[in-house]
Amino acid sequence: MVDYLWNTQSPLQKALVAGRHGVAGAQAGVTLVEVRDLVLVQVMARRGKAADTAKAAKKLFGVDAPNTPKAVAGKSATLVWSGPDQFTVLAPRTDESSQIDAMSQAFSGAASLSDQSDGRCLIRVSGPRGRDAIAKFSSLDLHDAAFPVGTAANTSVDHTAVNCWREANGADGHPVYSMLVFTSFADSLWHAIVDSSLEYGVDTSRTRAA
Amino acid sequence: MSGYSGSEPLGRTAAAEGSTNARSQAASASQSHRLRSGGLIDRQAPLQFSFDGKTMTGFAGDTLASALVANGVKLVARSFKYHRPRGIITAGSEEPSALVEMRTGARKEPNTRATTQELYDGLIAQSQNRWPSLRRDFMSINQLFSPIFVAGFYYKTFMWPAKFWEAIYEPIIRRAAGLGKSAELPDPDHYDKAWAHCDVLVVGAGPTGLSAALAAGRAGSRVILVEEDVRLGGRLLSDGGEIDGMHAEEWVRRATDELAGLPNVRIMTRTALFGVYDGGVHAALERVNDHVPVPGPHQVRQRIWRIVAKRSVVTAGAIERPIAFPGNDRPGVMMASAVRTYVHRFAAMPGKRVALFTNNDDGWRTVEAIQQAGGDIAAVIDPRGKVPAEYQALAELSDLRVLAGGVSDVKGGVDGVRGLVVTAADGRKQQIDADCLAVSGGWNPNVGLSCFHRGKPVWRDDIAAFVPGDCPTGMVMAGAANGEFSLGACLRDGHAAGVAAAADCGASGNAGEASEAGDEVYAISPLWQVKAKGKAFVDFQHDVTASDVTLAQREGFESVEHLKRYTTLGMATDQGKTSNITGLAIMADATGRTISQTGTTIYRPPYAPVAIGALAGHHRDENFHAWRLTPSHHWAAARGAVFVDTGLWKRAQWYPQPGEKDWIESVSREVLAVRNGVGFCDVSTLGKVDVRGADAGTFLDRVYINAFSSLAVGKARYGLMLREDGIVMDDGTTSRLAEDHYFLTTTTAKAGPVMAHLEFCRQVLWPELDVQLSSASDQWAQFSIAGPNTRKLLQALVDPSEDMSNEGFPFMGAREVKLRGGVTARLFRISFSGEIAFEISVPARYGAAMAENLMIAGKPYGVTPYGTEALGVMRIEKGHVAGPELNGMTTADDLGLGKMMSKKKDFIGRVMAGREALTAPDRQVVVGIKPLDRARRLRSGAHVIPKGGIPGPATDQGYVTSVCFSPMMEQWIGLGLVERGRERIGEIVRIHDPLRSEDYEAEICNPVFYDPEGARQRG
Repeated sequence: MVDYLWNTQSPLQKALVAGRHGVAGAQAGVTLVEVRDLVLVQVMARRGKAADTAKAAKKLFGVDAPNTPKAVAGKSATLVWSGPDQFTVLAPRTDESSQIDAMSQAFSGAASLSDQSDGRCLIRVSGPRGRDAIAKFSSLDLHDAAFPVGTAANTSVDHTAVNCWREANGADGHPVYSMLVFTSFADSLWHAIVDSSLEYGVDTSRTRAA
Repeated sequence: MSGYSGSEPLGRTAAAEGSTNARSQAASASQSHRLRSGGLIDRQAPLQFSFDGKTMTGFAGDTLASALVANGVKLVARSFKYHRPRGIITAGSEEPSALVEMRTGARKEPNTRATTQELYDGLIAQSQNRWPSLRRDFMSINQLFSPIFVAGFYYKTFMWPAKFWEAIYEPIIRRAAGLGKSAELPDPDHYDKAWAHCDVLVVGAGPTGLSAALAAGRAGSRVILVEEDVRLGGRLLSDGGEIDGMHAEEWVRRATDELAGLPNVRIMTRTALFGVYDGGVHAALERVNDHVPVPGPHQVRQRIWRIVAKRSVVTAGAIERPIAFPGNDRPGVMMASAVRTYVHRFAAMPGKRVALFTNNDDGWRTVEAIQQAGGDIAAVIDPRGKVPAEYQALAELSDLRVLAGGVSDVKGGVDGVRGLVVTAADGRKQQIDADCLAVSGGWNPNVGLSCFHRGKPVWRDDIAAFVPGDCPTGMVMAGAANGEFSLGACLRDGHAAGVAAAADCGASGNAGEASEAGDEVYAISPLWQVKAKGKAFVDFQHDVTASDVTLAQREGFESVEHLKRYTTLGMATDQGKTSNITGLAIMADATGRTISQTGTTIYRPPYAPVAIGALAGHHRDENFHAWRLTPSHHWAAARGAVFVDTGLWKRAQWYPQPGEKDWIESVSREVLAVRNGVGFCDVSTLGKVDVRGADAGTFLDRVYINAFSSLAVGKARYGLMLREDGIVMDDGTTSRLAEDHYFLTTTTAKAGPVMAHLEFCRQVLWPELDVQLSSASDQWAQFSIAGPNTRKLLQALVDPSEDMSNEGFPFMGAREVKLRGGVTARLFRISFSGEIAFEISVPARYGAAMAENLMIAGKPYGVTPYGTEALGVMRIEKGHVAGPELNGMTTADDLGLGKMMSKKKDFIGRVMAGREALTAPDRQVVVGIKPLDRARRLRSGAHVIPKGGIPGPATDQGYVTSVCFSPMMEQWIGLGLVERGRERIGEIVRIHDPLRSEDYEAEICNPVFYDPEGARQRG
């Protein structure tokens, strides 16, 4: 019997050419990173079970699940608000099925889960000119006062839905934004983000979620 | 707008000039009309440019217009209709006359205002609308016929025969009249769009705007200050003055420095606001690289900004208006404020002997400006008949020749003004020798932006001008734009507006005090036209004269909106910035109404011309819209697939093989491979929705016309959903994966709308149901595997523990299966092709591997990847409906699916589907159609007419919706929507295709052409 290889492929397989692009210079203005190997689960409270869902989230992740547009870092996972009575859990992929099983048990009876690990692609934008690049494709006001660390938003880029939130500032002191995009749009949006960044110089790479 | 406070020159002093190098000395020498000192220009940085092939020199800081003035160039353009010689009239973005073609080749850009084009080294500009040359323009012969070329001439003259208008008259007229020509090559430059956000948007950086920005910025609000010029300062750069005891330029410098030092203030120069929209959204155009020959690497040429502001303070200043008198368009007739700008800001003399025609005090500033620059004032013509008090001493000191009356003619032509005739009130005429005429008819507050939400400007008699009426929500106007014409008042008004706007946004820091300046008197006696023989222009860009306006009145076009359309007044690229008010004032006079009664036309964005390229931004060529890729896209591309755009998706259409002569051959091969063996197709584009919750079944019962709560776990069912109006919305299969979990699929095209519809149902219609929805469209790579050898292929792929027999996995079964190698898939036994078929889903990351593994597993059976064309052929052969039949007009019964409508339950669209017209027996329903001539190609869109009928609306009985070449039937076949079609199986009809001039006979048949019993897919 033949052996079947199940190699995985990122939606950015072709689009992401790691390295420096656009204007040359000592420091790239924008840093783009594809964050791979995530477990990503949408948690939607059953009707009338929002409190139970919150309790289960607290028990499993050690934090209060966000009930406003925020991203909170919990034990082994980040919880990002994605709508009324629902949020998305992102965790580095270790043992996928046991991670999902653990969540299924924790939220059993309280919430419906939808595995979106392959439905979304996570792109992280940072660097001194990251905000300027984002301004070209996003209508979000990312000013510190309007969008502090931990803020999340459901927005649209190029007419498609994107979840965006602000991570802790990078080591260079500049803001870091995570953009969760639909897998089928990832190639297109990556190009749009790179094109928006070329005039500032852009560094692209991929990394495993940690 | 106070007078000069002293003779201190701007910019470089004469001392600095001593150190200029040889090149700049030579440059100065060639600039016959350049003043020896002064101006905000860098004499160390000479710039070469060419106009109509003649090389000239200017300095950094010049505009193209100021450099032309400095070189003594008067003639720069030919007018739109009469081809009259024209010069530079203004020094700003309101310029109606000095339009040029910038650059060459693919970067050629017509109708560029020379007054806003910054000079750069190597600039190339051409005059436009002339042949063979600007000085000797053949079409200026039009002037001889000008008595008949009045408003409405074309409409009256070229009426017969009617057919000739589009074919002959209009092309000829358009060639004769016109502006510049655009490049015919693709624009090599890039453009983009960006968002910006602030509390307070300040529009215009003159004294009022700077004052407002300082106040709002100091108070702590987030401020964006936009200025179309490259420098801040507005009229202060041209008229100087004294503010807070310092020279105006020094005040501008300090204000600029302070603003630049405030972290909450963003200054955007070269940025013109052109639109105001709902929700505080403003649109602005930044000319990022119009001041260089070619944008730097990865730089854009222009950028559209969408600025979201909680409050806006519009400090856009005022525009000086011309007076209509014969010869007022001669090159060398210029707005008085523009004369001062060229002299003071650019150190360029528009004339050596300047006459001034003004009806207001502000125009008198020009006297001192000219005299300080060493020019002569030939005369001041002021219809008010006396020297304003403020200028009496000056007039006496310099023995000014001051005349009452008006300019009734201007002598001159291509070489500019040679002199003028002044007619006094008593009719006495005097000749004045002058080479430049400065005109001021007063100032119009720049109310445009205040009117974009249909606010109507309000007339003020004291300043003889319109001021803003109701502004868009959140906007205030301040300074000259608000009718405040003294410098002191502008500074106070701007400060107050800045403080108030910041406070509205919750910023309460110390805004400081308003700067102080004098409150000079602005007295005006309105004068719109001097009635005398000869063409007196109102709209310079569209060649509309004062007599055109009165002609419109005589012919009954008295409303300003009619006046505009009949004469084209204000319809040119400048949108009548210098002409509209004058035109309607002349109309008011002709009709005996007040100007207020006459009113203004509607103001609409854009305020200034915006290139389509800028509006498109990044979205051109391959970036026209976003694209979606299937999980096997790169795999298919590597195999040479031809892709087709299906909505945003790129789908493999077919996979050409070497030696195949056309797409039909490739597609037929793929179809036969499936029907005789096995093939697979990526169908990941189908919409997929996880429907969960205790009430998921009830929810689907209400959404679909057929029942789903009764569906067993592990089974799939075809479902059809209607819109509320009873028309079919979408179809697809939905499977029950668990008691509380359904997996719903939609068509590719309707994935988004169906998801929105389901969310509406969940959130709005039935919030009491326990249902959770999530889009899983992108989570799964889904492949259709079809053909008699499908089961053999799958047996090689799935784990041996899985029962793949007909009993173990029956038709319409749906469940998870383990695949060899450890991946879990979802398998659905559903068929679109009519063959034994499964759809298999794996997480998207395995999509490419799945395609590869299907090739391996199916290799012994000649597995063939197929594209959307083969998919389409097989569904037509099977009579399955798709997009062309689900066209937003068909009912379930039209599609032959009426029996699916449950009578035991309610569902969306049930009641409305019962309407008389939707159940009428003569509706057009889906049938099969095949041409009698088996070699004939059937085409979709062709009409169905009864045999022997004469094609026409009365005999039209439907049309062909989908066609294909069927390799199984060995002929072209199709589906169609035909009146009473199901009763007419076997009938011969006429297929009429006027679009492609085809006419032939065809037979109406059962839409299921292939395997009508459906035995193959169940086997």
